Amino acid sequence: MEKFLLLIREDLKVRENYSPEESRRTLLAMGAWIESMSESGNFVNADALLNSGSYVGKDYILSDGPFIEAKESISGFILIQAENQEQATSIAQSCPLLMEGIAVVEVRPIWFVDQTKLKG
Amino acid sequence: MQEINLLYKSHFGKLVATLLKAFPSVNLETIEDQVQDAFAAALPVWKRDGIPSNPAGWIFTVSRNKVLNTIKEEKRTRFLYEYEDFHAPAAGTREPAFDDQQLQLLFACAHPDLAPKVQVVITLKYVVNLKVEAIAKVLGMTIDGIDKLLVRARQKIRDEKILFREPDLHNAGATLKARLPIVNKIIYLVFNEGYKTSWGKEIIREELCEEALLMCKALFDHKMHNGETAALYALMLFNAARLKARFGPAGELLELEEQDRSLWNRNLIILASDVLIQAAEAPVSTYHFEASIAWLHCTVRDFQSTDWKSISNLYRQLLQMNANPFVELNYAIALYYAGDKQQSFEILNNLRLHTFLSQYYLLNASLGKLHFLAGNYLAAKDFYRLALSQTSCQPEKDFIEKMITRILPLIAN
Repeated sequence: MEKFLLLIREDLKVRENYSPEESRRTLLAMGAWIESMSESGNFVNADALLNSGSYVGKDYILSDGPFIEAKESISGFILIQAENQEQATSIAQSCPLLMEGIAVVEVRPIWFVDQTKLKG
Repeated sequence: MQEINLLYKSHFGKLVATLLKAFPSVNLETIEDQVQDAFAAALPVWKRDGIPSNPAGWIFTVSRNKVLNTIKEEKRTRFLYEYEDFHAPAAGTREPAFDDQQLQLLFACAHPDLAPKVQVVITLKYVVNLKVEAIAKVLGMTIDGIDKLLVRARQKIRDEKILFREPDLHNAGATLKARLPIVNKIIYLVFNEGYKTSWGKEIIREELCEEALLMCKALFDHKMHNGETAALYALMLFNAARLKARFGPAGELLELEEQDRSLWNRNLIILASDVLIQAAEAPVSTYHFEASIAWLHCTVRDFQSTDWKSISNLYRQLLQMNANPFVELNYAIALYYAGDKQQSFEILNNLRLHTFLSQYYLLNASLGKLHFLAGNYLAAKDFYRLALSQTSCQPEKDFIEKMITRILPLIAN
């Protein structure tokens, strides 16, 4: 099994305007998804992010909320383990927010050290 | 008609697979449609003429003819005629509970490129032979959701020719061995779906438990199993033994301490214990821990005699192997009953800090229960009220309301 980072990307302005009901509903849906990933042994870690934050570059700091890619900013992450990139992708496809069209998921493999190439 | 339903249940996946092999150029979805049409066509004919002596063969022949007609209708068919195999053998008559072909299909569905949920869905479709409506119901998904999932899976099946080149059972070797952990996991997940209490005491869910047990037994019968399969089998047997006791006479959800243990199936528990002892020789897996915990529950006469210290130890080791917050919840509960109340509440309160878990009804219901046992009735009521707002499942709601009713008079005093 290899590790993959799933980045949930959605429109933070929309998310900002959720009613408490909608906010709860999406959280519950994601919770159920995490539970099923735990059951199948794929879940490692996850957290949701607040909409605020800062964006830091060499000569600047932006601190006014969703930044460059406003429509697809990261709202949360899930660290999973999966057989390969294909399976990780397949797992990402069952993200409830993705299935509703609210979010897209970026699936990135964690850079791992190839133990067979380690000396000593 | 009963016979048609049973035939569908035992043969759908196999018929589809056989026709796919014979007609590789035809769309999987088309083949499924034709097989389903053949079953539909059988009803009036068999009612009128009686059931044929080779019912599976009848369905196969009709399906095959329908597929041939589909091919003939397509322009390029003349070219294909020379390449299609028109003499594929009929699917056979009476076959044992789980034959080579179904086992092949099971391993074929255990493709590492597919998410576990997708593996479960295609196993339910092509091995357990459930219809889409039933799969949707059982997994709590919409029919549309399942269809979309199948469309994507069909593409993969199409591209990878999963059902064409099912790993050959007897020249098995590496592929099969590599897939066994995935197969074990699929069986585990199917059983869990059947065992969940979310939708109350529905027959179809218990049938899933049986299907999972059958698939597991098939692995043993064909000597395709490993140590994990044995531990998994023991776990499922321990749970299956207790199926009948989970609900009360009015269909209400019962906690472990309220369950009538005389309803537990002694024979299954004895069998499970034997299987677990054999599995003990193999390398330890998460199934070993879960099965051992189940064993500790099943082999004591009443709730009060439960060895919670050993159970919490097992959960602790399980967590080391497979860290996840849901196992931590069970660990915390076991710790409370083992007498380590402080650590129990520490873990539970930590879990509440997790955004996703703070919405998890079972966490809050568990906090409600433990606060109730500890005599903190106000806190217990608050947690139960919170849990009530977090589930839409009626049996669970009824259960929580029952608890709240018990607590309210205690607060008044």
